[in-house]
Amino acid sequence: MTPAAPSTPPPTAAARGRTLPLVIGCGNEHRHDDGCGVAVARALRGTVRGRARVVECDGEATALLDLWEDGDLVVVVDAVRSGRPVGSVQRMEVTAESLPASFATTSTHGLSLAQAVALGRSLGRFPNRLVIYGVEAGELGMGVGLTPAVARAVDEVTARIERELAPLLEEASHA
Amino acid sequence: MTDRTISVDYLARVEGEGALKVRIHGWNVEEVELQIFEPPRFFEAFLRGRGYAEAPDITARICGICPVAYQMSSCHAMEQALGISVGGQLRELRRLLYCGEWIESHALHIYLLHAPDFLGYPDAIRLAKDHPLAVKKGLKLKKAGNALMSLLGGREIHPINVRVGGFYRVPSKEELEAFRPELESALELAEETVHFAHTFKFPDVKEDYDFVALRPPNEYPLNEGNVASSTGLEVPASRFEEEFQEVHVRHSNALHCVRKGGGSYLVGPLARYALNYDRLPPRATSLAREVDLTPPVRNPFRSVLVRAVEIVFACEEALRIIDQYDPPESAWVPAPAPSGPTEGCAVTEAPRGILYHRYRLDEKGLIADAKIVAPTSQNQKRIEDDVRHLVTRSVHLDDESLGYACERAIRNHDPCISCATHFLDLEVVRD
Repeated sequence: MTPAAPSTPPPTAAARGRTLPLVIGCGNEHRHDDGCGVAVARALRGTVRGRARVVECDGEATALLDLWEDGDLVVVVDAVRSGRPVGSVQRMEVTAESLPASFATTSTHGLSLAQAVALGRSLGRFPNRLVIYGVEAGELGMGVGLTPAVARAVDEVTARIERELAPLLEEASHA
Repeated sequence: MTDRTISVDYLARVEGEGALKVRIHGWNVEEVELQIFEPPRFFEAFLRGRGYAEAPDITARICGICPVAYQMSSCHAMEQALGISVGGQLRELRRLLYCGEWIESHALHIYLLHAPDFLGYPDAIRLAKDHPLAVKKGLKLKKAGNALMSLLGGREIHPINVRVGGFYRVPSKEELEAFRPELESALELAEETVHFAHTFKFPDVKEDYDFVALRPPNEYPLNEGNVASSTGLEVPASRFEEEFQEVHVRHSNALHCVRKGGGSYLVGPLARYALNYDRLPPRATSLAREVDLTPPVRNPFRSVLVRAVEIVFACEEALRIIDQYDPPESAWVPAPAPSGPTEGCAVTEAPRGILYHRYRLDEKGLIADAKIVAPTSQNQKRIEDDVRHLVTRSVHLDDESLGYACERAIRNHDPCISCATHFLDLEVVRD
């Protein structure tokens, strides 16, 4: 499990005072492909510096609630097991519907990402928009390093989040 | 005469993964197996050859809920091996860090894992829909514990600021004082938690436990004290292995720890409370009296109340430490290089009960041998006894109801299977 790491440096003056987009990379880098969310967070940290917050998290439900409470746009990246080919990427905007069960299988804790979403709704601790990227995991045993297909998916998700945040980041840097 | 097997294939609302299998022949309970099938994690083996200073950071990885316990037991054991003693403000800071872990761990269990059992909900999510305020309070309390761990430990999970001899960095007086308002608020929430738990309806059960906990001379136990039992044992940690032994059982990947020449015993909040009630600070004592929590508490369902009282204790203790804090000149006590092979051991109180560490070091300070006995390893056999008694009383129930009742009996003890090896799935066999 990967504990929450420090976020990127404080926002620029231009961005200060507004709610920055938040990217949460979930997982455990010591369980191979479960570390894909953390890998995306680390890849994004340099490129969105000062214009979005990027944090790493073990995916434990109450930690997620604390992180995304009062957020405007929150993007979560996590490993999933849904039976799709390893490295497949699913993107979903969580609004009214529940997350698929595949998002409940990668946590060794009692409450998973799917349950964090449900708990957040019950408690009114939910961002305005929540986007979730799920990367189909292959290897979840002990050890570090991503399987090649998941490493490629990390690059893909990083690029997609950059594109997704670009208009917001642009706006923040001109504000 | 009918035989049946009741199986719970995946025990919910426990830390880690495991299963329960109960075999019933007619009205007799023939077999109860708490099956821990999570693979062994071999921490004791891969500690060998590592430097003594690495033990706190390596063993912290055994558990994401109670990493401080592993750090504390390993530090104390290494300090005994190296002949150093950590006292004064550094000792107080260790207690403060441990208070953070007790608050977050107990709040998580009371509100998210245990309360649904008493209020008739299948999980915390359904509970939160009808009782959002209560769950919000629980999460706020847990957050205060996590924040305290971050303040002292550098981060809330697997702290990075703990070392043999003390800390890498100690906080300033101002940093601790700034945290006081959050702790005062946590103390109020903790008191409300006692009253919240007091509204629960408790099944009328009494178990004859052999309680085992630390008993220090003049404080509620966290880091130090003799290992004591309700049957009269009182020995230093160095005699732990003379009194207790781990045995392998076929159905579990976690070793069972038992009293030598005896049987099961119970560690954790009920045991600490039974043996140290007279060491509780004033507000915790007063609340315990208010809710008629007279020690010893032998009803395992009422452990939720004891946990709530222990959160009050942890908040009071944390405030006391902050108020008297005077930053030490050095963040740690330097350890001399070992002059030859040496050995040390220690027991501290994890939220779920006593945690024993023993290390043998070679002349270079490398770990030659390690032994770790986690609280859940010690409670496994006693949990099976609780389930056996429950099934005997409730054998008339249908399989589904009986399975649920068994899960509740297990959750009373907040087992951390991740610690004992690492996950829980119930099977009831009626032949």
